[in-house]
Amino acid sequence: MRTFFRGIHPKDRKERTAGCALEKMPAPDKLYVNLAQHAGAPAEAVVAVGDSVKCGTLIGRAQGFISANVHSPVSGKVTALVKQPSASGIKTLHVEIENDGLYDEDFLPPLENPAKEDILARVKDAGIAGMGGAAFPLFVKLSPKETIDTLIVNGVECEPYITCDYRIMLERTEEVARGIALVKAASGAANAIIGIEANKAEAAKKLAAVLPPDIKVVLLKTKYPQGAEKQLIYALTRRRVPAGGLPAAVGVTVLNIQTALAVCEAVEKGRPPIMRAVTVSGGGVEHAGNYYVYTGTPYKFIYDNLKGNAEEDAVAKILSGGPMMGMAQSDLSASVVKGTSALLFLTDAEISERPMTQCINCASCHKCCPMNLMPMVFESLYEQGEFASVKAAGVLNCIECGACSYVCPAKRPLVQVIRLTKKTIKEKGI
Amino acid sequence: MRKLIVSSSPHITSPKTTRAIMLDVIIALSCPLVASVLIFGFYPLFLALLAAGTAVLTEFLYCKARKKPSTVDDLSAVVTGLILALCLPPVVPFYVPMVGAVFAIAIVKMLFGGIGRNFANPAASGRIFLMLCWPLIMNSFLAPVKLGDGFASLFDNFKYIVTFDIAATTTATTAATPLASLGNADWLKLFLGDIAGSAGEVSAIAILIGCIYLIVRKVIDWKTPLVTVLSAAVFSLAFYQDIEYVLPSLLSGGLLFGAVYMATDYATSPNTAVGTIIYAAGIGMTTMIIRKFGSPAEGMALAIVLMNIATPLLDKYIKPRPFGYRKEKKPKLRKAKEANA
Repeated sequence: MRTFFRGIHPKDRKERTAGCALEKMPAPDKLYVNLAQHAGAPAEAVVAVGDSVKCGTLIGRAQGFISANVHSPVSGKVTALVKQPSASGIKTLHVEIENDGLYDEDFLPPLENPAKEDILARVKDAGIAGMGGAAFPLFVKLSPKETIDTLIVNGVECEPYITCDYRIMLERTEEVARGIALVKAASGAANAIIGIEANKAEAAKKLAAVLPPDIKVVLLKTKYPQGAEKQLIYALTRRRVPAGGLPAAVGVTVLNIQTALAVCEAVEKGRPPIMRAVTVSGGGVEHAGNYYVYTGTPYKFIYDNLKGNAEEDAVAKILSGGPMMGMAQSDLSASVVKGTSALLFLTDAEISERPMTQCINCASCHKCCPMNLMPMVFESLYEQGEFASVKAAGVLNCIECGACSYVCPAKRPLVQVIRLTKKTIKEKGI
Repeated sequence: MRKLIVSSSPHITSPKTTRAIMLDVIIALSCPLVASVLIFGFYPLFLALLAAGTAVLTEFLYCKARKKPSTVDDLSAVVTGLILALCLPPVVPFYVPMVGAVFAIAIVKMLFGGIGRNFANPAASGRIFLMLCWPLIMNSFLAPVKLGDGFASLFDNFKYIVTFDIAATTTATTAATPLASLGNADWLKLFLGDIAGSAGEVSAIAILIGCIYLIVRKVIDWKTPLVTVLSAAVFSLAFYQDIEYVLPSLLSGGLLFGAVYMATDYATSPNTAVGTIIYAAGIGMTTMIIRKFGSPAEGMALAIVLMNIATPLLDKYIKPRPFGYRKEKKPKLRKAKEANA
């Protein structure tokens, strides 16, 4: 079975939600829509306090090349423009919308038999951004200088706990397939490959049955970080994205499963991505499962809805995203964005806090590094303040998957130090 | 809701800790330890416990003296003590392993910064130190005790606990190790360990069981023992030019024990795969050179320490290339000259 170099095998903990069919979560009375919910420049607000909006009304317009439009998830009234922390903790501008409960629609016109340019324009207008987590604007990915010959669809979902893409593949199989075909046409790629981890074989089978013959499904070994872009491209095509380069450099572009679904909905129904599937799990919630959640829904609303009889004090850590790369929350004020794949309420037993001890030089971090780096060398150079040497040792190639910190027997904060190092190198211009 | 923990990802870590690794090594070491009891009686077990206890106490007192938190609960001192005792002759006075353990822990390990920072394998260095202190004792190997001689015979060797008088021992009790008479060895005896030699080093089968356990538990890299043994085999063949010598030289004199338990020490072996192969091949080669031209009994320990010293160099010059990294083409000389002009 194909895969990439090295990597780790954390327990996948998906069993609790893998069987939970997607359910729609109602919208709260007040939504906070983040205008900076994609990679790149934040969108510029085009509504003012007091304006009424409908589902799909443009509220934020893309600014600059790498940016994406933002649409209102519900109908109602704009009550405020507030700066508040997003899931990453950075304060960004949010549009506060009071939900009138009518859900009047203001979608874009559906397209029939769209040409390549029409799809691209629609992807841009609908503000589709990667829904795997990084939220990179799809339009940018589809218009590189290089020619794209292969489209890769990421159905790997290698983070523990998360099952929303799996459920989407099972329940929305045909729409996903149509979405992939649309993106393939827009990108001009000759081939399309869907990579799915072996533990989701059922989804792979279902997808393979409805796909046209020019789109292949390939099962990959269950291993973290199989879903990392460079590792996925290597596993499926044996092409190596050059250090510091983008997938387009080897003629590839990568798309997430839910992004494909979003493209299908945007083209066929004119509906921008105002709702997404989110896995809610962890010992701190009773009703764990997979839910369609409106973007802009505060985490507090989700928790109150699903907590059930679970002990409130049992929650030790709240994560936006998976346990390997997700962001820990200090409270529940942040809200769902296009890239929110999971909301986890983990107990003490689930987050293994172990004390840090001295590095024993075992090189486990190097032996699991999918980028073939030397995290322990980076750490000691960081401690010595040798930033030029760390850069020369290749720290900027790190994809921050966290495998090194996961395996470290001394529990050294390796990837955390690498993040700090990269930040310092950037700030100091070394 | 209580105060939440906020930290940078990842939020889960593997259950494998330093202590868990050391516990695995202790479990693996119990194989040669049991074998040494079956072959030489209870005396080597007593020495092993004495060495491990001294090692732990030394580390504890060192930490106390330096006013640092004690690090003994990572169990690495126990491992050092056990390895040291197992590579000693089965019968030495009680103070020998104690002195060795103090040297290994205080001088080789703790003075250089403790676990992960030592420049050479503490147990191997300890053994070399003891060799220099008591060369006669360290070169006297008793013949195995026979299990068939009755349970009481397993306690026989305790009579040497305080003094081990070489002159008083008759030739009947001391025995030449197979290393000294290569070529005459019985292969099955070598494999089971029914030969004279260091306590933990004689039984190849026990060492191999421990080795397989460590590889399955992913504690050690299979490359180190395999390449060490292969390289030793090649050089043994080259030096003695007799295929009959190859197996005895691999199965005796602590080569296997060292390859599995000492050469694989994390702190003193290279980090990269290529470095590990060079390092292991170097150990096999050096061992055979020392055995051929120097003192046979010390070959393995010296070879390991010599290659330990080469490890920082191997790590400095063999650097892994990041995934997707392409070597930048050097500008051609003529073009560079034109650019300068």
